Amino acid sequence: MNSRDRVLAALRREPVDRTPVCNPTSVATVELMDLADAPFPDANRVPELMARLAETSYTELGFDSIMPVFSIIQESSALGCKIQWEQKDNWPTVKMREPIWETPDDIRIPPDFLTHQDTRCVIEAIKLLRRRYGNEVAIIGKTMGPWSLGYHCFGVEPFLLMSLDDPGKTKLCLDRMKEATVQFGLAQIEAGADALTLPDHATGDLVSAEYYERYLVEVHKEFAERLPIPLILHICGRTVDRMPFIAQTGMAAFHYDSKNQPAESMEAVDGRVALVGNINNPETLFSKGTAEVRAEVYKNLNARVNLVGPECAIPLQTAIENLKEIPKAVRDWHREQAA
Amino acid sequence: MAELADISNEFIRQEIDEFIERADERARIVSLFSRSSPAMQAIAAALIDGDNELVDELTGSALAAGTEALEVMDYGLIAGMAIVGVKFRQNFIFVPEVLACARAMKAGMKHIDPILSASGIEPLGRVVMGTVKGDLHDIGKNLCIMMLRGAGFEVIDLGVDTSPDAFIDAVEQHKAHLIGMSALLTTTMPNMGKTIDAFIDADLRDDVKIMVGGAPVTQEFADDMGADGYGKDALACVALAKKLLGVESRT
Repeated sequence: MNSRDRVLAALRREPVDRTPVCNPTSVATVELMDLADAPFPDANRVPELMARLAETSYTELGFDSIMPVFSIIQESSALGCKIQWEQKDNWPTVKMREPIWETPDDIRIPPDFLTHQDTRCVIEAIKLLRRRYGNEVAIIGKTMGPWSLGYHCFGVEPFLLMSLDDPGKTKLCLDRMKEATVQFGLAQIEAGADALTLPDHATGDLVSAEYYERYLVEVHKEFAERLPIPLILHICGRTVDRMPFIAQTGMAAFHYDSKNQPAESMEAVDGRVALVGNINNPETLFSKGTAEVRAEVYKNLNARVNLVGPECAIPLQTAIENLKEIPKAVRDWHREQAA
Repeated sequence: MAELADISNEFIRQEIDEFIERADERARIVSLFSRSSPAMQAIAAALIDGDNELVDELTGSALAAGTEALEVMDYGLIAGMAIVGVKFRQNFIFVPEVLACARAMKAGMKHIDPILSASGIEPLGRVVMGTVKGDLHDIGKNLCIMMLRGAGFEVIDLGVDTSPDAFIDAVEQHKAHLIGMSALLTTTMPNMGKTIDAFIDADLRDDVKIMVGGAPVTQEFADDMGADGYGKDALACVALAKKLLGVESRT
């Protein structure tokens, strides 16, 4: 199996020759930016630089996937949010204290949504990567879900208060914002994406599992129907309480955080959705060494997690050696199992 | 020793019975409410319910009826937030519900603040809070601020993307002895250390206690940077602030 076949088979929960190493979110680091001569912030805005930095996950780290979206700002920028672009050592961030919308009637997807520099960059980068790598490695795009877009466009606190005060209005907002998710997703599929990460941060650190069920299960089911490639839902933080709901959505996979144990998470999804994850970022990949990384990889493999990778976008100062250890550990584990 | 039956408000009794599990917290909260009047319990109940309009109305009525502002704050608003904080920490409620309670607290404090300011009553302590340079995330910091205010602290909120100089200026301007720094991004966590270094360079480190928090921050990281304390959640932040300043609740 080549890398692409391996990732796609695992996303379908079919047999694989070995567990794929997958990054549904960014593995860009400052070291890789130097290596590829593709630094932030330009690597978030210029297709060639975006593609060059993204492909290092495959060429330098030995992962089975390439994911060219390093932040969560691309479509919010195209929707009109202000962005703080930062420099090489920090991610760009949406200025959520300056919300662009207050009511459902304000929601408007601009006519240039897909031709805006920051959405077009992703679409063009995916085309470049597809041309360069053909079918040898999985190319994963990313389209943000409406809950996350709500934080960006309405502000976190106003959006969460609205969700409590007026569920009907909140559902209307989600219904309108989801069209941005679908449009950007379809454009990336047309550009050649094999799968899409769909971050929608209804995390247990902010809202209850009941919230996920009430507001997002149906929306996520709709995405699974309207976006005809495997979708990888990404939600940070503690999520094991909502995994049984996530498993009902028809998403191919759930990218899960290290706040959830691999074994309990596998039990929660009960084979109805593949799991991707969950090597800890701040304490392990960023702060510790290869032995600790290896131990976490083994923990996932022992639990039969379908695809292994970092839990979320990795810290930009993470050492490359720690990232390279993930595919090495996966190969060693499979060798040991075969023996 | 006070008992649940000593509390007249049925909603408060139910809240304590259902959600306050730790024996020490239960004893403290039961004792607090057993000493509060039915009117104060009603304010606390409205706050726990996130009903800002009712809190506004009841607080105004209580003050108009001659209840001391400090009593309304301590036995109505702060007492209510004590239950909210525990429910949040134990995942009985989540951020939207806490935001609604904080909004209700604010509706009550709108009546109380001018009276306390005019009478010169000191807050429990004065805290400067901000998200560090390069980081625009503030929900965690804001939750800490809500809980700190809900516990009787005065908080100077510097917002997001706060430079070391801004922390120093605020400490000097407001004569604060405690700062709290928050970071959500691993890329901005090191700016906590840089801010602590700036206090050392400004020869102010001994004058101020520094606490840190945020999703990727750990006790180990806080220790490495030389912070005085780490709080893993908003309630822990309040306990830490009290410990670092050596203060106790008035009630």
